[in-house]
Amino acid sequence: MSEDHSAPSMGTPDWLIRGEVAMCPCGCIGKRKKGSFVEKTLNGTASIMRQAMFGDDMASRDGLLQRVDARVKVVALVGLLIVAALVRNIPVLIVMYLATLVLASASALPLGFFIKRVWLFIPIFTGIVVLPAAFSFITPGEIVVPLWTWNGHQVGLTNQGLTAVGLIVIRVATSVSLVVLVTLTTPWNKLLAGLRALMVPRIFILIIGMAYRYVFLLLNSVTDMYTARKARQVGNDQGQVKEGQRFVAATAGALFGKSHALSEEVYMAMVSRGYRGDARTLEGFRLTAIDFFFIAGCIVASVLILGGDHLVGH
Amino acid sequence: MATENATPIFACSGLSYAYLERFPALDDVSLTIRRGEKIALIGANGCGKSTLLKVLDGLVFPDTGTYRAFDAAVTEENLEDEQFSRGFRSRVGFVFQNSDAQVFSPTVREEIAFGPLNMGLTRDQVNARVDDTLTMLDITDLAERAPYQLSGGQKKRVAIASVLVMNPEVLLFDEPTASLDPRTQQWLVELIAELGAAGKTIVLATHDLDRLEVLADRCIVFSEDHRVVAEGPPARILADLDLLLSVNLVHEHRHAHGPVVHSHLHGAEHHVDRHSG
Repeated sequence: MSEDHSAPSMGTPDWLIRGEVAMCPCGCIGKRKKGSFVEKTLNGTASIMRQAMFGDDMASRDGLLQRVDARVKVVALVGLLIVAALVRNIPVLIVMYLATLVLASASALPLGFFIKRVWLFIPIFTGIVVLPAAFSFITPGEIVVPLWTWNGHQVGLTNQGLTAVGLIVIRVATSVSLVVLVTLTTPWNKLLAGLRALMVPRIFILIIGMAYRYVFLLLNSVTDMYTARKARQVGNDQGQVKEGQRFVAATAGALFGKSHALSEEVYMAMVSRGYRGDARTLEGFRLTAIDFFFIAGCIVASVLILGGDHLVGH
Repeated sequence: MATENATPIFACSGLSYAYLERFPALDDVSLTIRRGEKIALIGANGCGKSTLLKVLDGLVFPDTGTYRAFDAAVTEENLEDEQFSRGFRSRVGFVFQNSDAQVFSPTVREEIAFGPLNMGLTRDQVNARVDDTLTMLDITDLAERAPYQLSGGQKKRVAIASVLVMNPEVLLFDEPTASLDPRTQQWLVELIAELGAAGKTIVLATHDLDRLEVLADRCIVFSEDHRVVAEGPPARILADLDLLLSVNLVHEHRHAHGPVVHSHLHGAEHHVDRHSG
């Protein structure tokens, strides 16, 4: 029975027992390159997870808005968005915008991050769209910044045009700030439940909730597949576009298959626990004192803003 | 503890099932499960254990054969009846192998509340039950967490909580101890023993031969061609090495003790020497 126990058993091929020539750590074999699509995808998935965790962290801080019920916040948000849309004076909107900053700091949100999140996109999206309205050929009026003459007519930015642009930009900034305030201070699941206050159907909320939950699972699958590829990759993948495309297509196909199998299993798990097509959710709607103060505060603020706007307008 | 003449709650006769009508999963399976029994379904991967559990839970329906539960035929048509469906679903609970498929709600609390809400309990009753279950499984601190923030063991606890909260008479477990750390495995084995002692009927598919005697009082052995080839108490099944070899649950294994290499049978940690060095 005695034999050499280091000998390979079960027909293990020779090459599996021998070591491979590894890359020299000094880098004398091959060149160092970075920035492959594998790396980028891995960084991308990691960043989504990071953002979700950051969002959860913000929503669980001990601040003013975090203590208000999600339904109350959603209803108040809709009300205040309407108020912002009705205001016709820039100074009043600026006051409203400043109020969102005060609320943000009362809710323990980092102000710099809050301001950046709002102003990073407004100049790009709203600014470019409304900028032509500042010119005299779109909005005629008193030219304050003359630019050139065309056929004997002075062309430039008009007072009326600039006011219109300013009004729209600050209105968008205020509205976006209100939305960001609510989304950052409310956990995602509570925000979804809050949509019930706006008569959004339960089944819609159930589906969105599950979609959000499974995004993370699929992100993990993507990370696993890309990490497995990275682990087996020797050298760089520059110039292997075709092979890369094939890998991305295969990953997408595999993910599709996985989500299909998963969806069947999830459905079985739901049926097993008595699901028959009617979505039922655990909604406990109990208003606390802080919710009442918040609603009262929003109503008073809305009346003051609209009243002030009316006065300034005259 | 079950006795020979305890009431049968599940009775399967001549069940056959094939996926996509091409890939057989069950072939002429007949078995009876009595109230209060702890049954282990054992067999190699792909032998049909999970499919049988799905049939027992009324999730897939056999191509041929009959399945009766609580003295009523379980068919697709019968389960469309709301009263029958509600009664059956609340009496039979299924803990899936993949906790990710079972834990689908945005938070742990909502997950556990899903079953009782579907049973038609009031919100206050649901909340009280959820709180009790969270306390029982020692996961109260996870109540507001999202599933992606949970570890594998915690997800398993949540999945079990989401089934236990419905207070089912029969609990089906698909490979309950698979991919859990040893501590969670031990906790789960003790929980299953406790539930069995409390009078629940337990049916589980498992590869955990070491714990078979704690997990079950009767084993049903599946062959790789999807048939039931034996049944009996764990001690008797585990002693029948030829049976275990024939269904590929154990295998001939070679390893070394110092300079000596010898062969013996091996299935998880359950092994019996056939040759001495």
